[in-house]
Amino acid sequence: MADKAILYDATRCTACRGCQAACKEWNENNELNPDGNNPVTTKNTGSYENPPDLAPTTWLKMTFTEVEHYGKLDWLFNRRSCMHCGDPACVKVCPNGTLYIDQTYGFVGLNPNTCTGCGYCVEFCPFDVPRLKGSSVLGNTKAFKCVACMQPGLNRLDAGQEPACVKSCPPNALLYDDRDKLVTIAKEKVAALKAKGFSNATFYGEKELGGLHVMYVLNDTPDKYRLPVDPKFPATAIAWQDVIQPLGWAVGGLTILGLALNYIIAREAKMTKSLPGKKEDK
Amino acid sequence: MTTKNETVIEKYSKAGRILHNIHTVAFVILFLTGLVLFIPQLAFLAQHDWTRMIHRVAAVIFILAPLTYFIVKPKAALHAVKEAFVWGKDDLGWLKAAPRYYFLSDEEGMPPQGEMNTGQKMWWFIVVVFSAVFIATGLVMLLLKNIAPPEVFQWMVFIHDVSFIVTGAMLFVHIYLGVIHPLMTEAWRAISTGVVSAEYAKSHHRLWYDEKMKKASEKDK
Repeated sequence: MADKAILYDATRCTACRGCQAACKEWNENNELNPDGNNPVTTKNTGSYENPPDLAPTTWLKMTFTEVEHYGKLDWLFNRRSCMHCGDPACVKVCPNGTLYIDQTYGFVGLNPNTCTGCGYCVEFCPFDVPRLKGSSVLGNTKAFKCVACMQPGLNRLDAGQEPACVKSCPPNALLYDDRDKLVTIAKEKVAALKAKGFSNATFYGEKELGGLHVMYVLNDTPDKYRLPVDPKFPATAIAWQDVIQPLGWAVGGLTILGLALNYIIAREAKMTKSLPGKKEDK
Repeated sequence: MTTKNETVIEKYSKAGRILHNIHTVAFVILFLTGLVLFIPQLAFLAQHDWTRMIHRVAAVIFILAPLTYFIVKPKAALHAVKEAFVWGKDDLGWLKAAPRYYFLSDEEGMPPQGEMNTGQKMWWFIVVVFSAVFIATGLVMLLLKNIAPPEVFQWMVFIHDVSFIVTGAMLFVHIYLGVIHPLMTEAWRAISTGVVSAEYAKSHHRLWYDEKMKKASEKDK
């Protein structure tokens, strides 16, 4: 089956935050429960943007950015959540496949039951998306992020439905479809924007990190929307997982092998030496 | 010092041996609870809090044990750390002679050794340096999560991992040479009882033995 994807058209978005609310509701991330772990603090920071950051119970949030471009002041909205990279660094550094690329849809899933709470995904994500629930000092953490509505028991995709955020979107700023189809649509949208005079209009996510499964139509450059312009797969992740870890197994294995070899030879040598030496002992 | 039938010399002080044993146990626990993140089939052990908590408790012991030793025996501790960084011409001689000794029981060409022979010193150097590296990188990961920039954290994980490989592999060598190697007759005795026979000291740590004897005779005068 062809990879699926979500396309976000910032120029159609009204920032109603229906997606933000629908995401919480569908995935049972009720942050208003005062007895819950890590309740999200919502406070007025002088902006519509609220809560201030992604959290273990906030997998999607809208960002609001004021910019001057095309000779006027503009208020840019953006959808901030997991990008579902085609080549995800989190999956690379995850010790036990808790994070994985879903073979049916191409989205990046996360199984909290097997999560070891190491938090490597948090630090290696080029988009700073996963969040840890619990305390790193005590070590009782689990990682959480958007799983494209694929939670067991709450799996919308398997039921043939679009993700909750897409379903909730009134102006159809969010689309869910085969990735190939959405790439074509996005290119048409960007071409139309350019024709209208938005010369910096950008289609974001086609090639980034092996091709994102959440893509963006923007009427300006990505940095204006607080997106990293050229996100890179962290080199440390490659050096660590592809070089150092295999090397580690080789070093450990060869060491034990060498010691076993030494034992066999040294014992033999000692025995042949100590035979005539026995007289000296007397 | 003389016991029933043989003359023995103190090789390791009681405080030193206690530090050695506590540090070793802490390290082995840290090694095993860290290892579960390298073997996907064992990672289920870290799904719940307890292996992570054990790793943290062992880490605190791993840090506090040498610190305590530094407070209780500052002179001995400083002397020991300095030893790790003193290298001479004899060390090269030892390296050349070592393969023939450890494989073929051939002691020829083995230069006289101090309190630690070159091999022991190499291991001690690794212990001193990588303990510091482990502690530094571990503390950053433990306390500066989400505070240190991601790049810094990535390098901490990387360096922690490299230290894990180096010290883990060398720990096998250390245990093997101390307990299993056919020629190791008194190493285990030294670390468990603190003494070695004068004969062993004379043949294996000649420089140290001579120094001890000199000091002892000066005392007698």
